[in-house]
Amino acid sequence: MSEPEVRPSRYGRVMTALLRATLRVDVAINRIVPSDYNPLYYTGGLANLFLLVLVLSGIFLFFYYEASLEGAFASVRYLTQTVPYGGLLRGVHRYAADAFLVAILLHLFRNWFTDRYLFSRDNPWISGMILLLFAGLIGFTGYQLVWDERGQVLTALFVRILRSLPGVGPAVADLFLGGPGVSDGTLVRVLFLHIGPASALYLLLWWHYLRLRHPKIWPPAAWVLFCVGLVFLLAGLIPVGAEAIPPAAPAARPTRFALDVFFLWPFWLLNWLPPAGVAVLGAVVFTAGLAIPYLGRRESPQALGVRHAGVAQVIDGNCTGCELCYYDCPYNAIIMVPSPRPGLTKAAANRTLLAVVVESRCVECGICIGACPFEALELPALLERDVLAQVAEAVRA
Amino acid sequence: MRGAYLAGIAALSAVAVAAAAGIVYGEATDRWYLGGSLVGVLLIAYAGIVLLLRKAGLIGPRKAER
Amino acid sequence: MSEPRIVGFVCDWSVDLRPLLDGGRLRDLPAVRIIRVPCSGFVRPAWLEEALNRGAAGVFVTGCPYGDCLNREGNFLMRDRIDQLQRRLQRRKIDPARVAMLAYGLHDGRAFVDAVRAFVERVGSLPAPAARPARPAVAQPAGAPEGEGT
Repeated sequence: MSEPEVRPSRYGRVMTALLRATLRVDVAINRIVPSDYNPLYYTGGLANLFLLVLVLSGIFLFFYYEASLEGAFASVRYLTQTVPYGGLLRGVHRYAADAFLVAILLHLFRNWFTDRYLFSRDNPWISGMILLLFAGLIGFTGYQLVWDERGQVLTALFVRILRSLPGVGPAVADLFLGGPGVSDGTLVRVLFLHIGPASALYLLLWWHYLRLRHPKIWPPAAWVLFCVGLVFLLAGLIPVGAEAIPPAAPAARPTRFALDVFFLWPFWLLNWLPPAGVAVLGAVVFTAGLAIPYLGRRESPQALGVRHAGVAQVIDGNCTGCELCYYDCPYNAIIMVPSPRPGLTKAAANRTLLAVVVESRCVECGICIGACPFEALELPALLERDVLAQVAEAVRA
Repeated sequence: MRGAYLAGIAALSAVAVAAAAGIVYGEATDRWYLGGSLVGVLLIAYAGIVLLLRKAGLIGPRKAER
Repeated sequence: MSEPRIVGFVCDWSVDLRPLLDGGRLRDLPAVRIIRVPCSGFVRPAWLEEALNRGAAGVFVTGCPYGDCLNREGNFLMRDRIDQLQRRLQRRKIDPARVAMLAYGLHDGRAFVDAVRAFVERVGSLPAPAARPARPAVAQPAGAPEGEGT
């Protein structure tokens, strides 16, 4: 087979360079740790681990939080200073949130650069982008809940961004605030916007895992220990309450404070952009992210060669209903149905089940072809007889 | 090479024991951040021990990946 | 006796073959012919057996490093299938060392070639195989000729 002469696009060349760089990082890491301990092979699992830490520490924090203008900061201060290990768990919650977003971004960039969104893998990509959006929203509302001066300013800036939305702006802002201005109801809504989407994350994760058999949702034990330990160490060494931001007050005029770059970057951009500009930028970035599986193609179909051999086809006459392809398909793209009629070969004549390929889930990998002992599956552009012809040619003296 | 790994495991185990003692001390004297940091140190030491055990060949790949 | 032929099925996502190939064979090891496949899991064990029956001295499959298969499990599945094939080959008095599973990533070209070279040497030192079984490993269509090599 000759190499296709098509020259890749500039986007293709950039993405190929990023692919090679990503895999070079793997080579470096695999020199230090065994490859089944490489954290980059478990980026999704790392995110899931930090999410669990967040949920558990969050439940603890929730027990002490009071969602009212007067009581919010006082309850947080009580938790931090009086409750044993309260301040520590608050720190665990905050640092795990940053680690959560770092893990999500590693997961996003790795799966983007290594072409793991092709064909029917666009589905986990879309659900993943929505997960990222929810995670960002949850992190932002977390900073509001403290109701210190930073939370107060963030709320005011967020309302300004909401108001800049065309048409629905003021209505959405009032819905968020629970009225024309900040009130106790606002914090109740913010608390809901923090915990509701956090629970919804698990529902979105169900969607995210849906087409994958054996998703890697948990990292190896060594990394579980390391990540939880790191979060506790940071929480102990850099206590959260040490920022000493005063509580929110109606007359407060805060001017500058530290920003968590992972969750609060839209507000940092407000230093330079108008609120509508930040909204537009966010929408553009999110839409571009959603478009990656559809518009981004590192390699042309010709360059993909055997990797784009067509969705698997069941050869009805040969299928015996043995289910080996069903068990091996990594994407749950093969289902077994009651056989409507007997097969043609002797082995298939008495079958009760028939394999059916769900073409919308097939990524053209061919693992089912390797699994089938009865030659009942084929890739249209790489038939068994093509492979055997290559074998015969390879062995010819 | 194996000797170096086993020496590392012994060293990390000593660190872990010291951290455990420190956690108890932190709890006894109400120094929560000290106790919390040492919980972190303990878990990171455990992670190092698991890694060195793997590199020394005493534990193997996960069952799904054998 | 012509020099031994080695057939390798290499996953197109795994080791970067472009600098290593010269036509259909490895530049450094001309006895090794490469067949590209979309995933190491695509390979049917029957094809490996067919290659051996048709006169290949050895046959290997190369996938991505374990844990990094683009299709998540292809290399593990292929490794298990090769383990089972090796047991079958032992029953049929074919040396199971003639079949191997390798796992190399994009940048592992050097290590891949070294591993293949070691495989070629290993296979070369094995005693010559007994007479080939008459029954082909793969079902033939009715009325088709037996093909070259028989």
